[in-house]
Amino acid sequence: MVRVRHHERTQPQPCSSHTKHGTAFVAGRVDSRTALIVPILICLLTVQPAAAQKLRLRQSPGGPAFAQLPAANYSMSFGTMNALGLGTPLAGVSVAALSNGALYFFTYQLTISGLAAGHKASVTVYVSTNFSHPAALVMENCPDTTACTTSSEYSVMSTSATAPSIIVAPPGVGNSTVTAGIGVFLPDNDGASAYTGTDTSTVTITATDLNTGTVIGTAVIFFNSPAETVQDAVQLTLSTATGGVTVSPAADFAMNFGNVNGLGIGPAAGLTTVAASGGVVYGTPYLLNPAFTDFTSTTGTLSVYASKTFAHAAVLHLDDSASSAGPYAAISVTAGAPTQITAAAHDRTSVTRYLGLFVSNVNGATAFTGTDNATLTFTMTVP
Amino acid sequence: MKRSLIFFVAGFLVLSTGAFANTQGTNTNTVSPTLAISATIQKAVQLTLSTGTTAGISHCAVAAGGGPPDYTMSFGNVDALAINNGSCNKFAPTTPGTTNAIYWSDYSLNPVYTSQATTAASTITAYVSANFAVPNISIVRTTTADQSTVPANAAAFTNMSTSAAAPDTIATAADMTAAGSGGTLNRFIGVGIAPTNGAAIGTGAQTATVTFTMTIQ
Repeated sequence: MVRVRHHERTQPQPCSSHTKHGTAFVAGRVDSRTALIVPILICLLTVQPAAAQKLRLRQSPGGPAFAQLPAANYSMSFGTMNALGLGTPLAGVSVAALSNGALYFFTYQLTISGLAAGHKASVTVYVSTNFSHPAALVMENCPDTTACTTSSEYSVMSTSATAPSIIVAPPGVGNSTVTAGIGVFLPDNDGASAYTGTDTSTVTITATDLNTGTVIGTAVIFFNSPAETVQDAVQLTLSTATGGVTVSPAADFAMNFGNVNGLGIGPAAGLTTVAASGGVVYGTPYLLNPAFTDFTSTTGTLSVYASKTFAHAAVLHLDDSASSAGPYAAISVTAGAPTQITAAAHDRTSVTRYLGLFVSNVNGATAFTGTDNATLTFTMTVP
Repeated sequence: MKRSLIFFVAGFLVLSTGAFANTQGTNTNTVSPTLAISATIQKAVQLTLSTGTTAGISHCAVAAGGGPPDYTMSFGNVDALAINNGSCNKFAPTTPGTTNAIYWSDYSLNPVYTSQATTAASTITAYVSANFAVPNISIVRTTTADQSTVPANAAAFTNMSTSAAAPDTIATAADMTAAGSGGTLNRFIGVGIAPTNGAAIGTGAQTATVTFTMTIQ
């Protein structure tokens, strides 16, 4: 754990030629002209003793490291983020994918010391310099009253110095260490408010002695090292529709039509049959779940093609339809000319589609019985 | 200088696009998940009966029975002298009081089969699996079991087999080949009313069951 003690290093002390270091240095090692310069340099590098500082930040166990800057300042970064919460966040940072965005957050420790006996302090925080793209990045706060390990414990951080957010509420705490949290919420943004790129923000934390009403310490965190990076993100998953055949996770998804026949006799649960020329189509609804964020377009296209056809392609092929009753049309087997499902897929809006399995009723030498497999590749593109 | 350039390029590639699975990615505008489809094709056979359509005669309706029975057909009121008209067609006894009266109808067989590697030896057979409870009525079929033309008289009918082991072949392999899967075969079935008297004879509603079997091979 990195223990950051900015108070021991950043508070300049009143300087004079009577300091212990300066006096010893002048008396023993330099000439009189140099003696006037060296104590000044030493004074500039001397920091205030620990007892004078009453608010300090620390890395919490498992949390990200702060970089200490001069003058009670810290810097850190949430790293590269996206509003779908995809990927692995920066070490020590957690991410919660939400229904309307993603929250990146971490916990940290605040240590209050030096309060007079019986005194208690409250702690507040506000965004002293907000992101340049406040629609894309929203700073959030979690008070010390919760564990700050779930997204629901965070709320939007105030941007007002006069009405800051609460970290430690009155009646406050005495000399102690508390744990709080800071987060950045990335809402789903597509269209005009979409943003990708870097941004920075500054948060100011203030501890106030509630007995005297005086500020006993201020810490500033610069979220700029490196700058926060917002990336666009896309995600397309498939899932089971109500009343449909189960879509199970595999590499990437799998669906089993079970036993089928060219007459459509006894379709398995979730399947309906539709008569077709030369055979029958077993149909099932399924869900396409598109999600995308930080694109200037608010719609994407969904397409599909059979990247691996059935080994007995004359007997089995895959069809697509917008409705249970059809009409079903054969799904393309060409990557360069896939079957378009929709050109207006919206973020986080599921599309119900019907997948058909055509089974030929052919008899004779070309007839086939047994198990066969095919693979569909779906593609979502957000322009 | 050369080494530094290599590191820069490598770093750029890592940051350019994040692909975590086929289902998702960052710093990109397209994603392509896959769906594996599997199915097991089985052979299938289907034999349905329906009301006949032969021209020039009346048709007793073949009604769906909901299973069992799968279908029903009623000849209505019948008698050994062919006085009643029954529901469809009748042949009076050749010798009243001696030979049977025949009440009869056509019906259609509709064979369908799929994913069968061989079909050349396919047949449809029929037998009376549950006979009438009284001796003076019997199920009859045309004397030529696979006859598809309208029978001319009562002599064109004979009793249907009551043996599961030795059923009547009402559609031969040649008939099946000619009809093909999805085709229609017209056949004739009826009841023969014997002019017998005595304590054992029955009157009133009587029922029997015929079982048809299609074998594709």
